[in-house]
Amino acid sequence: MLIINNLVKNYGKFKAVDNLSLEIGKGHIYGFVGANGAGKTTTMKIVAGLLKPTSGSVVVAGMDILKYPESYKNKIGYMPDFFGVYDDLKVPEYMDFYAGVYGIEKSQRAKLTDELLELVNLTEKKDFYVDNLSRGMKQRLCLARSLIHNPELLILDEPASGLDPKARVEMKEVLKELKDLGKTIIISSHILPELAELCTSIGIIEKGKMVVSGTIEEIMQKTSQKRVIRVKVLSELEGAVKILKEQPSIGTVNVHNDYLEADFHGTNENMAEILKTAIKNEIPVVSFTEVDRNIESVFMHLIGGEGNEN
Amino acid sequence: MKINPVVEKELKTTMRGWRAPLLISLYLGFLLLVIYLYFLANDQLYTHGLQSFNPRVAINAFNTLAFFQLLLLLFITPILTGGAISSERERQTLDLLLCTSFSTYKVVLGKIFVSIANILLLITASLPIMGIVFMFGGVEISNLILLFFFYIITALMLGSLGVFYSTIFKKTIVSIVMSYLTIGLLTFGTYIIMALFYFFFDGFRTEPKYHELVAFLFANPLFGFGTVIEETASNSSVFGALVILSKGDFAAKIIIKSWMINLGFDVLFSALLIFLSARRLKHVK
Ligand SMILES: Nc1ncnc2c1ncn2[C@@H]1O[C@H](COP(=O)(O)OP(=O)(O)OP(=O)(O)O)[C@@H](O)[C@H]1O
Ligand SMILES: [Mg+2]
Repeated sequence: MLIINNLVKNYGKFKAVDNLSLEIGKGHIYGFVGANGAGKTTTMKIVAGLLKPTSGSVVVAGMDILKYPESYKNKIGYMPDFFGVYDDLKVPEYMDFYAGVYGIEKSQRAKLTDELLELVNLTEKKDFYVDNLSRGMKQRLCLARSLIHNPELLILDEPASGLDPKARVEMKEVLKELKDLGKTIIISSHILPELAELCTSIGIIEKGKMVVSGTIEEIMQKTSQKRVIRVKVLSELEGAVKILKEQPSIGTVNVHNDYLEADFHGTNENMAEILKTAIKNEIPVVSFTEVDRNIESVFMHLIGGEGNEN
Repeated sequence: MKINPVVEKELKTTMRGWRAPLLISLYLGFLLLVIYLYFLANDQLYTHGLQSFNPRVAINAFNTLAFFQLLLLLFITPILTGGAISSERERQTLDLLLCTSFSTYKVVLGKIFVSIANILLLITASLPIMGIVFMFGGVEISNLILLFFFYIITALMLGSLGVFYSTIFKKTIVSIVMSYLTIGLLTFGTYIIMALFYFFFDGFRTEPKYHELVAFLFANPLFGFGTVIEETASNSSVFGALVILSKGDFAAKIIIKSWMINLGFDVLFSALLIFLSARRLKHVK
């Protein structure tokens, strides 16, 4: 549905997006994760046709967006990170306007508006002026607006930013419904947990470069050959580090306040051996555990620096 | 035929707000003030009664109103259109429009159409006041129709100018100021340039020929206005001077009138501005 190939966007000398490639299959929900300034918005604006790529290609539903700059726009719905509303319009009038912009017949608009407002749970707010909606409601209205022409690909730039926890949950519910409707969605966030349960695939972008990309399983697999052991000791932290480093199955050792984490590639027997050795050497071990590998910790791990190797 | 959604939305919101009634009231208030001051200055109020009413004064009242309406148009249209695009930018609604398949031509034309509609509303609202002077005779209905036609095409040019600047400058106020500067150049500027030219190269010895006037003033709305009121202006009045500045000679028989030339320029200039505005909106960086 969306194929981005070697996308580059320069602002003067600054590379905001650096040779980024990704592919999203039909019906997938793609989480686009990265810290502030990583280049998520820039990438999404290019896909939405609001910025011109310096080089590289973007193909939406089989159409190169540079070759079909107008017609491909009927295939996408875009929700920017920051947006405004026309303050003098009522909710249905707001929807009606954008329906008109997409050339939808007058006769169909009311029904369509009703359906979409129902989808985003704004039916009770029908008589309100757009300006009098809360932030979360405006965000959901904007989402409904981006759906009005029944696009195949949805580009959502931090749809939950600036919302309180309750509104976030509501937004997430709506997104789940869209997922069930079979929409292809690319959704950005700077926090991964927010996306983990929603997404089928994820891409992590850092300084304009794609660090990791793939389905959740792929990412887990790619990173899970490396296991991490966390050891907590009462004292003798240095001694513990020394012993760990002597073990052939241990890689890098990171020392934290009162515990240490070590990359481990070995069998469970090796692991038991390491613990035995530590105790034999009279290291006061409080706990010795394998760090649970969920997608969040993978993310932290990658963002924490080591991901740059990939 | 589908209504341009931009037009529909803008008309809806402007009529709903307090701005439209306020604008109309101010506009009419200003025209009434002009006409009151005019009659006061011409000593036509109360003292003499209708017997001694001078029809010439009524006709000149018509010209005065027509002239002030033109000035108001020059003044108001930039305000109406200066924010056409920049206000969408400021309100962060522009991207929502540009990421759709909606043609940028329709955006630009819609905005201009709305400004012309607003101007039409003001002109229509002023009809009763124009009617007061109309009643006294001396002014033909054809004069009035030509005048309104002139206003509308001029509003098209002014609206296109405002929208054009609005696509270029991020701030509404900047595009309004730029519109005013441009209008200043078109109206007074071209007269000044012409005067300087004759001062330095001719020493004002010869009277400028019509084609010379055209060469300097074709873009000047006041130049066009001169022949719009030629039938109602008298030689000796201020308006007579305006007519002479549009024809070279008050009594000259000219086939291609200055208003035709000026409106022709307006149409071409508008087309260019619309093209540039739409292209500028479509062009992404
Ligand atoms: N118009 C611009 N001119 C120059 N630099 C820009 C421009 N827009 C963005 N940038 C730079 O490009 C980089 C990427 O910005 P972008 O907005 O894409 O990040 P982001 O991942 O969306 O961040 P956030 O999480 O804060 O939204 C940033 O370093 C930003 O400073
Ligand atoms: Mg962003």
